Amino acid sequence: MNPQIRYSEEQALLRGEARRWLDERFPIARVRELAESEAGEDPLDWKQLAGLGWLGLVVPESFGGAQLGATDLAVLMEETGRRLLPSPLLPSTLAALALVTDGSDAQRKRFLPAIAAGEIRAVYAGSASVWGASSADALIVPRGGGLEIVERSSGGLETAPEIVLDRTRRSARVTRNGVALGADAPSDRLAAMACLALAAEMAGGADALLALTCAYAATREQFGKPIGSFQAVKHPLVNVLIGVESLRSLVYAAATAFDANSPDAETLARMAKALACDVYVFAASRAVQLHGGYGFTLDCDAHLYLKRAQASRPAFGDAMAQRRWLADRLPGAAPL
Amino acid sequence: METLRADVRAWIAENHPGEPGFKLPQSALEVADDRQFDWLRDWQRKLYDAGYVGAEWPREYGGRGRERGAQRVIDQELARARAPFLLNLVGLSWAGPVILRYGTEAQKRRLIAPLLRADEIWCQGFSEPGAGSDLASLRAKAVRAGDAFQIDGHKVWTTLGRYADWCILLARTDPDAVKHAGISYFLAPMKIPGVEVLPLVKMTGEGGFNQVIWTDARIPADALLGREGQGWEIATATLQFERGAAEGSAGGSGGGGEQVGRVAALARALARDADPVVRDRLADFWIRETALRANAQRARVAGLLSDRPEALPLMQKLTASELTQALADFACELEGDAAGLWIDDPGAIENADWQRSYMNSFAMTIAGGTSEILRNILGERALGLPKTR
Repeated sequence: MNPQIRYSEEQALLRGEARRWLDERFPIARVRELAESEAGEDPLDWKQLAGLGWLGLVVPESFGGAQLGATDLAVLMEETGRRLLPSPLLPSTLAALALVTDGSDAQRKRFLPAIAAGEIRAVYAGSASVWGASSADALIVPRGGGLEIVERSSGGLETAPEIVLDRTRRSARVTRNGVALGADAPSDRLAAMACLALAAEMAGGADALLALTCAYAATREQFGKPIGSFQAVKHPLVNVLIGVESLRSLVYAAATAFDANSPDAETLARMAKALACDVYVFAASRAVQLHGGYGFTLDCDAHLYLKRAQASRPAFGDAMAQRRWLADRLPGAAPL
Repeated sequence: METLRADVRAWIAENHPGEPGFKLPQSALEVADDRQFDWLRDWQRKLYDAGYVGAEWPREYGGRGRERGAQRVIDQELARARAPFLLNLVGLSWAGPVILRYGTEAQKRRLIAPLLRADEIWCQGFSEPGAGSDLASLRAKAVRAGDAFQIDGHKVWTTLGRYADWCILLARTDPDAVKHAGISYFLAPMKIPGVEVLPLVKMTGEGGFNQVIWTDARIPADALLGREGQGWEIATATLQFERGAAEGSAGGSGGGGEQVGRVAALARALARDADPVVRDRLADFWIRETALRANAQRARVAGLLSDRPEALPLMQKLTASELTQALADFACELEGDAAGLWIDDPGAIENADWQRSYMNSFAMTIAGGTSEILRNILGERALGLPKTR
């Protein structure tokens, strides 16, 4: 496989805009505040996301969206991952992707413009535990190759908030008329796009952890020297660096493949998700470890990312599941 | 470019030399006997005459003056067809690029064309006993004597030293200057009085490395590359070529990066490909190999490097060599009992190629900056961590 990577001036602009806004709007103190709040998010943020056009990022122009590609999606998700964005942008974007990929014309027409405008909150629901379900107006459920849309207004829908490890991303247990919500497997394309979006978000989080830990290692002194000068500290950080940079390369290779309709897109996206699981958890574990006793406390920011990493791992297949999928398609080996 | 790719493919199909009937070394680092040397020299000449060596280098010096990226396409196709490697490794990938960057017009006209055609072989005189990774502590001396320099010193790990016509040689011209400042860079002839080459034997039993002893060896003054005292700067540039952190090779370095398919085929041949543990490991290797290729791609995309511009170029040699080593190790493990057999035993798998690969892979994790040194450099330059003392 010869991965290609394309990245334009427009994407660089989107990154700059996203980073500036997220830095300003979500300093870590505010992320902590929202994480400790009952709802876990601020409705004002949602309005602003709509205003920025991010709710319709992947929605076609004919339905009122920005109709941007997979590379733009990767850029945006990576930046939100850096800031642990405490808002259901990801499940909402996955809902929009599901509609674009697998929805019927009628479903698209009714929901996509409203999602892009921020009028209806739709979230993707692949199982009974759903990200962003508590504040959602509609759940987008994969069903028999297409989608079923469950609206709160139709009655019978119950969402019970879960007690979660990662309080920057909320989920709820969903039942309809007392029965747990079930879903069929998503289409290959949708699953792969979800892997890409999530892997990009995880890359941003891992990169933020690396910066956080390096800053600490450069200033914290022991034995009269900054700990970052010790190879026992420096080398694991370089291993994190190698993981993060390799992950970003796979994310952008997968995104480029989607935008070019390359047959390698799904393979690359699943590779990215597999690597993201390993790299994000490793980056977070090294962050806690290298911050020492302080790293083990609630005061240090490292645990916020560690919890996001652990909670993101199972979604759309953990590293082991992705490698199982990849092993059936290895070059040089017959599939089982 | 696609026309070029098709041309190269067609040419290789016609001209692939196949197996020579004796065991070839796995890279230019192990070339140790005349039979291997002559066969590989013929191959490089053939490739050069076809226009596939020095594809992007200037025409006036013997290159082909093609557009940027042409050599990469050629190298990819050669690697894909598992064509033999190019013999004149040091010349094509390290000496040539620095001569093009720092050399005088006369040096370029004299040295480049014979290097491309393997008419003249190059070696590298950087390492010394006791000064491996600490390159700046080198002790070889060059003393000006009229229109010549007199060289005295002891170099080690000199790949192709036995066959070399030329050496990119680092020597101290100013013993009083602080460590880096007194070093100069020479394009030194090898086949002169006062140069003695002593072969070293590797743990595989193969040769390829040598020690070179310089005793009162006189080289002409115009063998100096750049200015006196500029040696450290040019050595740093050479290492960037050697580590793949800068592009410039005249060919033959596009190999690697397609090993997982071979190991998967090995697992299949050994009927271990249904084992879930084996499958999981293979998939993991496939991810790492693909990431390596994606990293090389992304290194060319300026907008995706802006946060940490030095990381990807500096990572390449480190990650490629460690993946090669881990894969060869895994392949040996897959072989089971046969992993203990060596070349020419009838029970050896692929004539013990993986065992040999595994051992030879240490040359890559040690030479051109050990993995440990490269981690220090990455930590300091790409992550801004304080220097390790």
